[in-house]
Amino acid sequence: MKRRALISATAVLAVAALTAATVPAQAAEVGVSSTSITLGMTLPMTGTASPGYNKIPGAMKAYFDYLNANGGVNGRSINLKVEDDQYVPTQAVAKTNKLILQDKVMALISPLGTANNKAVAASVNPARRGVPVLFVNTGFSGFADTKKYPTTYAILPSYVMEAKIMAEYIKDNFAGKTLGLVYQDDDFGTDALKGFTQAGVTFAAKVPYASGSQSSTTAAGWVSKLSAAKCDVVILFGVSSATAAGLGTAAALKYAPQWILGSVGGDATTIKAAGVPAGVLYNAVGASFAPATTDMTDDYIKLFSDIYAKAVPGSAFDNNVLIGMNTAFVTAQALKAAGTNPTRASLMAAIESKGSTFASAGLLPLNYSKTSHVGYNGYWFGKYSPTGDLKPVDGKYVLYTTDSGSGAVVKSTYKRPAMPAKGLPE
Amino acid sequence: MRISTTKSRFLAVLSSAALVATVVIATPAHAAAVGPICDGKVPVQTCQGTTSDGAPFVMMVPANFNGTVALYSHGYRYNIDLPAGMLPSAPAGYKVTNTPEPIPGGNPAIANYFLGNGMAIMGSGFSRQGWNLDAAVATNVELVAAFKKQFPKTNHVLAWGSSLGGIITQTLAEKYPTLVDAVAPMCMADNISAELTAAGDVLWGLKTFFDPTIKGGNYSAGAAGNAEAIGDIVKVLTVLGSLKNSVSTGAWPATSSATGKALEAAGVPSRSALLLVGLMAGLPTQSDHFDSISGPDGALKLTFPLAVSPALAVLENAASAAVLAILATQDVELQAGGAVYDNTKTDYSARVEDSSVIYNAALSGNTVIAAMLSALNPANPGAPRAKGDPAAMAMMAKMAATTGKINMPTVMMTGVADPITPAGATQRVVDAYAKQLKSEHDAAIAAAKSSKNYQRPQKNLVVLWSTTPKSYTTFDATGAPITTTPAAPGTNHCTFSTDNLLTVAKMMVGAGTTGKFPLGGPIASAARKSGNLSVDKYFRAPLLKYYNE
Repeated sequence: MKRRALISATAVLAVAALTAATVPAQAAEVGVSSTSITLGMTLPMTGTASPGYNKIPGAMKAYFDYLNANGGVNGRSINLKVEDDQYVPTQAVAKTNKLILQDKVMALISPLGTANNKAVAASVNPARRGVPVLFVNTGFSGFADTKKYPTTYAILPSYVMEAKIMAEYIKDNFAGKTLGLVYQDDDFGTDALKGFTQAGVTFAAKVPYASGSQSSTTAAGWVSKLSAAKCDVVILFGVSSATAAGLGTAAALKYAPQWILGSVGGDATTIKAAGVPAGVLYNAVGASFAPATTDMTDDYIKLFSDIYAKAVPGSAFDNNVLIGMNTAFVTAQALKAAGTNPTRASLMAAIESKGSTFASAGLLPLNYSKTSHVGYNGYWFGKYSPTGDLKPVDGKYVLYTTDSGSGAVVKSTYKRPAMPAKGLPE
Repeated sequence: MRISTTKSRFLAVLSSAALVATVVIATPAHAAAVGPICDGKVPVQTCQGTTSDGAPFVMMVPANFNGTVALYSHGYRYNIDLPAGMLPSAPAGYKVTNTPEPIPGGNPAIANYFLGNGMAIMGSGFSRQGWNLDAAVATNVELVAAFKKQFPKTNHVLAWGSSLGGIITQTLAEKYPTLVDAVAPMCMADNISAELTAAGDVLWGLKTFFDPTIKGGNYSAGAAGNAEAIGDIVKVLTVLGSLKNSVSTGAWPATSSATGKALEAAGVPSRSALLLVGLMAGLPTQSDHFDSISGPDGALKLTFPLAVSPALAVLENAASAAVLAILATQDVELQAGGAVYDNTKTDYSARVEDSSVIYNAALSGNTVIAAMLSALNPANPGAPRAKGDPAAMAMMAKMAATTGKINMPTVMMTGVADPITPAGATQRVVDAYAKQLKSEHDAAIAAAKSSKNYQRPQKNLVVLWSTTPKSYTTFDATGAPITTTPAAPGTNHCTFSTDNLLTVAKMMVGAGTTGKFPLGGPIASAARKSGNLSVDKYFRAPLLKYYNE
């Protein structure tokens, strides 16, 4: 009897060992099964603010499908659930509640918008629930505050950084010119104002617009104020639809200052899709932290554009697509680093302990640590080509870096490590 | 649930109409304790009387009384008569009444549940209306004693109540931990200072922006004060009506102050100013018919929820709360001897720091927000702050108040978008209990070090959040929002379904008779089946603004 029991026990152990060797161990974490990991995101897929950003989920899925076809993360495939919040904060709250409570995602990924993320933080409170909010698609500097948003991780350089670096570019290239600024009249724009103020920039005209109010009609008002102030150089620091409205309306009204486009609204494909001719974009200044999307000498651009072309045939590989795929790639590394049985806690611990070493397309480093949830910290500036593509001036990326505080703007010496084999997490 | 033959017959006897007639029977007030005088009827006998403070009460006791009695405390009743046409809920006018209410709203299904299962119900109409927390608790203590004396078989006393009755119940549980076995404060009011701060903020904001003749407090004594309060009700409802009519144009009411008119001239829409007032006071941005999420098909699909709906929600909530805000202020001022609202040191910018980001578009952006907050700054002589009477405020501070201490199994239920007794009142108890439980846990660990026997502290609080649907604003063919449908769950004040109330009653009875709640599943399952109730332990309602969270 004892012997039979012993044999049975041994057999069970052997089966268990065999199982463990072939499939991932069963995890108990929300959103993690033995075969998959479920992530969720909210962003505007429809509505005024959606153009351009609504390509991000397709881009992320393209990378995750590629990853899944190559074994996933420790044998688990990545499943992405997407909810349309229309860029309305209350919608973001409702949709995030659904993702967390109904869809039971392991983590939120790349939720878009400053106000939306603030609304979610206040109402859904992912931090209280221990839900990671990975790589928010906003440059609001406040989200790097680890005390206020302990489970939130930035990835984009902050708007403060962008404004400070932009100010440096203006000083070097447009000294003495009369400056104008159009900005979104919320924390997105306030963050930029903070950076410009920090850098000592003086504007002859500052034109705020309330989120959602951008249109050709309201843009005519902006142009009227900017031209009245005789602005030679105008910064458009808003979402893509605002940038497009500003450029298109100004062109129609024969107002042609030197344009500088903020990174959030500077995606050429989106602007052109809104009806703005490429010629209007020509010679405008833009900024990015990643390689130019047309730079096929870059390993990431080459790989990501190839993956995207196969996944979404006919869709242009633009900056929104690049950001989406790069975010997915960084996420995959974070999940891999979180261990064979990832939990929400181990995922966040992995980002904090290893995140600064994650490979990425970014030309600047990721700055994660136990005390920092800051992502990239700099930009290069370029000009839009006659076809509307943003390219570095003289074909060379000159990278500037700074912080969201009073730190100086300096040239970056960061050398991006080589892309891992096949663009998969190692 | 299967009911026995006897029980079925019993239920048949208790027809809804008869029951309602029975439970709302008017009882004349007495100068001293009288009764209970019981009619001895079967299957349910009704006992009536008054407590020593003259509060009328009713007890309903089934023939098969099993020893459990549920004491219900009703909500706030206005303390002055109101003329016809003032209240939608009482078009013929309102008369002060102290009719006993032994079950919520005379709901026959709730009565049937208790009586049909051998339990008694009772409730008082209290000796005075208005804010009567101290007196009501004393009345209830006396009522429990009278019941036990009349029915010595009593072995379990449960207490529950709604709104003001909720805080009466919680206060009873905190002050008399051995008197009751389980309690259920529902849509519980917060302490009076917090409630009247919210009321005062709304009234002050409306006065400062839209009609400087609104008194908003510091009412005279006697009939003159009544007239002033009634006058304020008319003015506030008129302002809200005007704001509703101009919500799309953004025009300001003709009665607006110089401060308001200056903002109007600067292009600030009145709806943004109204929303700011609501956010300053902590009014919910979801209301009976406005979810701040949905928009009509067409051009306003996005603009409506982003820029308009939050203001309409605040407007609807302000209209729901206005009468009570004014009359409760007047009532407490009478009791305290002077003005009790003081905003001389209130930092409204800090109050809206987070919400102004979330509702930025509806507030018309940071520039407009800054202009409005600047207009409300104490430095603006066009926006004089309200100064309270220190002695009256001190008196108010002495009125009974809750700490959030949990002494026995407690079920709380509240609407997440209740504009009158905000969910934050319940959250305050949740927060206090979290600290209490941790303290009990630490004490248990310390005790276990010597006894080697760890006794896990019992969790005694279940909170049922009455949630709003995912979206619920509806529109007619022209795209206009429909406001004639019933209030959405989780909105307005204590809008619980009979199923919700039964769920609470059953949890209270179960915990009161066993001494504890079942672990995990059954609670969540019961909440889910009840509809629109959540036991999400991570949900957090904002505290009332009074607490400067």
